[in-house]
Amino acid sequence: MSRKIIEIAGKRLTLSNLETDLYPSYGFTKAHILEYYRRISKFILPHLKDRALTLKRYPEGVEKEFFFEKRCPSHRPAWVPTARILRHGEEPMTVCLVNDLETLIWVANLASLELHVPLARAGSPETPDSMVFDLDPGDGADILDCTRVALILRDLLANMALTSYVKTSGKKGLHVYVPVNHKETTFEDTKGFSKAVAEIMQKSYPELVTSKMAKEYRKKKVFINWSQNDSSKTMICVYSMRAREKPVVSVPMEWKELEKLAEKADPERMQITHSEAISRTEAKGDLFQDVITKEQRLPHL
Amino acid sequence: MRTRDPISESKRASGKEEEPGSHGIWSGTISFSLVAIPVQLVKAVDTGRVSFRMLHNKDYSPLQRRMLCPEEDTIVPPEEIIRGYQTGPEKYIVVTDEELESVSPERSRTIEIIEFIDIKEVDSVYYDHPYYLVPSKGGERAYHLLVEVMRRTNKAGLAKFVLGEREYLVAVKSVEGALSLVTLHYSEEILPTEDIIPEEVKIEADEKRRIKEGINKMRADFDPEKYADLRRNKILALLKKKSREKVLVEAPEIEEVEGKGPADLIAALEESMRKVKSR
Repeated sequence: MSRKIIEIAGKRLTLSNLETDLYPSYGFTKAHILEYYRRISKFILPHLKDRALTLKRYPEGVEKEFFFEKRCPSHRPAWVPTARILRHGEEPMTVCLVNDLETLIWVANLASLELHVPLARAGSPETPDSMVFDLDPGDGADILDCTRVALILRDLLANMALTSYVKTSGKKGLHVYVPVNHKETTFEDTKGFSKAVAEIMQKSYPELVTSKMAKEYRKKKVFINWSQNDSSKTMICVYSMRAREKPVVSVPMEWKELEKLAEKADPERMQITHSEAISRTEAKGDLFQDVITKEQRLPHL
Repeated sequence: MRTRDPISESKRASGKEEEPGSHGIWSGTISFSLVAIPVQLVKAVDTGRVSFRMLHNKDYSPLQRRMLCPEEDTIVPPEEIIRGYQTGPEKYIVVTDEELESVSPERSRTIEIIEFIDIKEVDSVYYDHPYYLVPSKGGERAYHLLVEVMRRTNKAGLAKFVLGEREYLVAVKSVEGALSLVTLHYSEEILPTEDIIPEEVKIEADEKRRIKEGINKMRADFDPEKYADLRRNKILALLKKKSREKVLVEAPEIEEVEGKGPADLIAALEESMRKVKSR
């Protein structure tokens, strides 16, 4: 077992098993993962900040078992920021807040490849700062179908004076975010609104869209999962890696880029791997910046 | 869609991704003096009780439980529900979540053995619930060593252990190459026996001898495989037969009340959708 002690911002951190190949069919080790998160940290940290992190750990790599950890591991260093979450009918829970580079590296060192966060911050767990449409293709549908749905969604929302942003899920789907950042908006609002949107999408494009969770309705269609707009749900954080065969990342896209990719009709082009994620983010900046700052009110509620 | 045997799997059907801790109920270390072994706690028994969903006989909808306030005849939402300890007719002491929390034991990641005892001294009335401890990565060697030594010395470790919100007294012993853990009742939970143990009476030696002979004739080794929960087996057989006969009924798809958003929102969405489609 290899160990390496590093120091970030005066905090000591022991990195372990750096040579473990966590993406065996691609040849991507723990050291590569730490390097990815270090280089993307400037962009991912604002999106992780003050959110209760759910760790999804792959101690033996993406082909082996994983486990979720909602509680912040008790063996954490003393400097890891945490918050206590109280939810009705549940035991109170201490969660990790990834607010700085050292915590991000510590979390990544736990082989937590995927970083999942709620749509609200830990200090105001019932106040979502964005509304999300999780576009998930059913059997026989693919990311290009999601792209069509996302582009219609963008236009539909724009007609209601709402600006939306899109990222790849890093798997087969797309996530459309509508920033809210308004302290009076509740999950009841975002859920009700997104559900009404999903239903009108289904009504208008019955061949392409379903708003129903049941698998049998999802064949060859894109499921608009509006139920993610809930304080108990988490989404994969933008710029997080995904545990797939290749080290693919959930990355933001410009709408015009998505339009072009839709014309090219090549689903593979929408799988952005670690190095591409870094180079495009360094070139374009954080395309998701507005998601956490832009204030918008959901109309007609 | 995947079809599955509705009988054998119904109980274990799970969501698409596992939640934390589904491999073991708990993980941490078992320790005494200077030894600390990483372990996971797993269930030792599954009662295999056949459970049924309650359905509405008109449309087979699965029914839900709700809390009803008889006074107002309304369904009470969770945020309006609090706890009361009943002290007399219509008299309660209200206890808050925070108060309960303040008396709950600190979560702990260790099972600390405090004494080694002879397990035969523990009457079965103390046994509560059985589990196994299995070694976690890196703990295999020390685990086997402990199993072996406990087997040879025939001792069980007595430990305190926090699971969920309670602190349990547990006995850890070596069973067939593994560690088993049994939660024990605290002595104050054991009911007094004075009232139920009958008074002694004089018994003739002859009578004693006859009963003893009777027992000896029926002596056997304990073979639990000879016995089975017949009712459960019959229920399972019945379910299997009925599923072959395709007498399955189907619940209606829970129609999420459609178009129930605010009328204004629906109208606005329809208007913007018209614009989208007309382009």
